[in-house]
Amino acid sequence: MNASVPASLLSRRSLLRAAGLAGAAAILPLTGCGAGASASKQDGVTTLRFMQNKPEVVDYFNQVIKDFEALNPDIKVIQDFNEGNFVPGLVRNDPPDVVTRGFAQATADFVKKGIFADLAGLPAASTINPEMQELISSWGQYNGTETSALPFSVAAAGVIYNRDIFDANGVAVPTTWDEFVAACETFKAAGIAPIYGTYKDPWTLAQGMFDYVAGGSLDVAEFFTNLTAAGAGISTAAPESFTNNFGPALPKMLQLASYAQNGAASKNYADGNAAFAKGQAAIYLQGPWALSQLVAANPAIRLGTFPLPVTNNPDDTKARVNVDMALSITRNTPNMAAAQRFVSYLLEPDVVNTYNEKNAAFSPLKEAPAVTNPQISGLNDSIKDARYFQGAVTYFPPSVPVNNYIQSFVYGKNGDQFLSALDDEWRRVAERTAV
Amino acid sequence: MTTTSLAAEAALSPRTDSGGTPTVRSKGRIDPTYYWMVVPVLALFAFFITLPALVGVFFSLTNYAGYGDWKFIGLSNYVNIFKDPAVLQSYIFTFVFALTTTVVVNVVALAIALGLNAKIKWRTGIRTVFFIPMVLSALIVSFVFNYLFSNTLPVLAERFGVTPLATSILANENLAWLAIVLVTVWQAAPGATIIYLAGLQSVPAEVYEAADLDGAGSFRQFLSLTLPLILGYLVINVILGFKGFLGTYEIIVGLTGGGPGMATQSVAMRIFSGFTGGDYSYQMANAVIYFLITLLISVIQLRLIQRRGVSL
Repeated sequence: MNASVPASLLSRRSLLRAAGLAGAAAILPLTGCGAGASASKQDGVTTLRFMQNKPEVVDYFNQVIKDFEALNPDIKVIQDFNEGNFVPGLVRNDPPDVVTRGFAQATADFVKKGIFADLAGLPAASTINPEMQELISSWGQYNGTETSALPFSVAAAGVIYNRDIFDANGVAVPTTWDEFVAACETFKAAGIAPIYGTYKDPWTLAQGMFDYVAGGSLDVAEFFTNLTAAGAGISTAAPESFTNNFGPALPKMLQLASYAQNGAASKNYADGNAAFAKGQAAIYLQGPWALSQLVAANPAIRLGTFPLPVTNNPDDTKARVNVDMALSITRNTPNMAAAQRFVSYLLEPDVVNTYNEKNAAFSPLKEAPAVTNPQISGLNDSIKDARYFQGAVTYFPPSVPVNNYIQSFVYGKNGDQFLSALDDEWRRVAERTAV
Repeated sequence: MTTTSLAAEAALSPRTDSGGTPTVRSKGRIDPTYYWMVVPVLALFAFFITLPALVGVFFSLTNYAGYGDWKFIGLSNYVNIFKDPAVLQSYIFTFVFALTTTVVVNVVALAIALGLNAKIKWRTGIRTVFFIPMVLSALIVSFVFNYLFSNTLPVLAERFGVTPLATSILANENLAWLAIVLVTVWQAAPGATIIYLAGLQSVPAEVYEAADLDGAGSFRQFLSLTLPLILGYLVINVILGFKGFLGTYEIIVGLTGGGPGMATQSVAMRIFSGFTGGDYSYQMANAVIYFLITLLISVIQLRLIQRRGVSL
């Protein structure tokens, strides 16, 4: 073929040119995106883009936005509930003005990269309970001092229990580990499964059994601070290692596992909700997100929540919390003043307290009223006294499949292997992210 | 000059050229229609497959997390891959799985094809039944089997007193992979069966008549006649099957999600976890290594095929 020289060469060159044009045509629309959002000010009305992370509460925020726009005719707010648009927005340098996110590892990464503006100067910032603010700042602050996010909604998780089964067996809410074990034995003797396990979904083991026992036995935040400080130098023998800190918690996890119904390994979260709603077990290690599912499956069910006591000192008992929604303003927004007014409005007691009351969550305000919802009011004391922790699994980088390791441990019961695997994984991630 | 005559000339030219030194053909140009067929696809392939793959290779030499800042770190990712037992375990699982599945799929498919090729009643109807799994999405199939393994099978096993099956085999770290093999075979066998059926129909009936006269039994006929005559189809099935099973993903996602524990994490799942896990460059290095391994296997298989005189 090489023999047919001049004509084909020419056509080959024109082909290349055509391919180049096609490539340019494909790239042009991408660069065009960046220019789209600059026209946010028209006729003196500022348009804010508000991205929130919970598609199930769109209606509530639509109402909030309507009220806000009535009070502030010069601002228009557009709600976006597709959190997946956030990173692409950053890549295009066109992020939303105001954002809510669940606050954990991933959002903390954004904070470290300086994506969010400092909110410390807002009057609303001083109305936030400092203990709740600490849930955010403990992940690290930009420039060491900035307040990149303000909590809006704090979800607290404990042990969900069936009040009817507790009452029928004369069991009171346990406040110590021994009482908890005694309660489980009572149910077992009465032929009721004490705990409903859904081991097929490893995350349920992670957030329930593992996080509750770990959070009750040791200071999770301090442990991970030390572990991170040790960096890639971590070994199983190091004082900061999982092996040297989590050991005492593991037998309690296995004891909890022994109280689960038969066949827990083949049940998933949806099975668990259906079965627990039917009264097939007394205790369910799940967070407030399961409550609406349980009530939907059985409207007559009477539920309550208590923090899992892991020691025999009732004052040690803590609840697992996570900042379900944290408010931030992106640093480079052209509408800083309007965004600040909107954030201040969202943090008015009426708006934030009503939201949390409706969604079985806790308000982060200093002056928040006590929660009266009987399904979660059992956690009031823990929240009031700031006896809470963020789940240990939320501190793991997503590249460590910690949930699977936990599942493996519950099945195989080999604690040493489990903890040294976590040490190894942590060290490998630290090694390759340190460079 | 019409295009048809050009095409005819182009088709003829290799024969006229063969043996002699290549000469400049004054009017023997290739019909541009062929370029119109190939080049757009080539451009699309290059832009959407080759280019991203090269970008992936490039980022495997960095510490890029998928977003944000990055810098070159040389071959560190590759060195770290070889020190990671979790990655090694996924390789072992994937290869054991692919080998087992290839063997089982081919044995099952050949057996089905022999049965369907025989003169049985309602042959067309039965063939249709056997091919249904091929039309269903693997993800849907695996969700259905997930339910069967987790709920139906344990209940039945308990009722009939088969204690080992009373808990779901998906929850057993040592047996879960067998469930994945079973579902994959169920899903992949019809495709292989079709190829075997085509092979069986290409075998002329006379050879069997001759074998009958010589007094060969049906097993001897299968071993000495059928198998050698459809060997090409067997090779194709083994190669295509093995290559496909190395990339197994959706059936595992639907059945075990890589669990219990880490027991059924395939290489493809580990690589994909890099996108969600902020571990992009590390898993890209894993992908490059996996690509080289599959490339090596493909080259070996192609050499084997050429020796057998079969062409894909």
